[in-house]
Amino acid sequence: MQPSILPTIFSITEDEIDLNALLSQVTLPSTGAAAIFTGMVRGETRRGDAHDTDYLEYEAYIPMAEEKMKQVADEIRAKWESIEGIAIVQRIGKLYPKTPTVLIACTAAHRDTGVFEAARYGIDRLKEIVPIWKREVSPDGQFWVEGDYIPKPGE
Amino acid sequence: MNHVKLLFFATIRERAGTRTLEMDIPEDMTVQGLKEKLANDIPALKESMLSVLVTVNREYAFDEAVIPPNAEIGMFPPVSGG
Repeated sequence: MQPSILPTIFSITEDEIDLNALLSQVTLPSTGAAAIFTGMVRGETRRGDAHDTDYLEYEAYIPMAEEKMKQVADEIRAKWESIEGIAIVQRIGKLYPKTPTVLIACTAAHRDTGVFEAARYGIDRLKEIVPIWKREVSPDGQFWVEGDYIPKPGE
Repeated sequence: MNHVKLLFFATIRERAGTRTLEMDIPEDMTVQGLKEKLANDIPALKESMLSVLVTVNREYAFDEAVIPPNAEIGMFPPVSGG
């Protein structure tokens, strides 16, 4: 297979994340497995500091975020040669509980060649280096959610 | 002097009170130098400049890096996407 024809999709969007459309775009004739991670707005947090959430409001440094999503996809391909298609999509704007906010999909010929690990790596790296932020609005007030990862040179 | 464009995001944008700022800086100014200048020029940013992440032309940049002409400089807190 020619690497150049492997589909890689990355975008920041204000629109609803269309799982079926994205999945079809990363499915090749040789694809037999897809691992899809999606995160959604959690309305009721029980772990740690228990609280309710009214909504999250996301913003992004869009051109850099899309470049860093491409970098995450390149890192996935360098680690798992079996990966066929990759989709990395972050929805921004005001998003309410139960709404999907992010999607990472990785496809491969078979399920035992790293697709689960690749999708996990994708969401973990997005949360480290892709410039996106969210402000949480709850019944008790609002605050910016800040990560704790400091990128290193070359990242 | 080098002309540069600054883009602020999240808490940095709110404290700065603006999304963008254009300014002229000395040709040999480093990322650290720019952070010190902003901490001085915009008191509301003084504390933020201690922990801000900085990008130059959409790549993460570190204190010793010299800022090139016409750079697009991003400033923001650690990311929290997902």
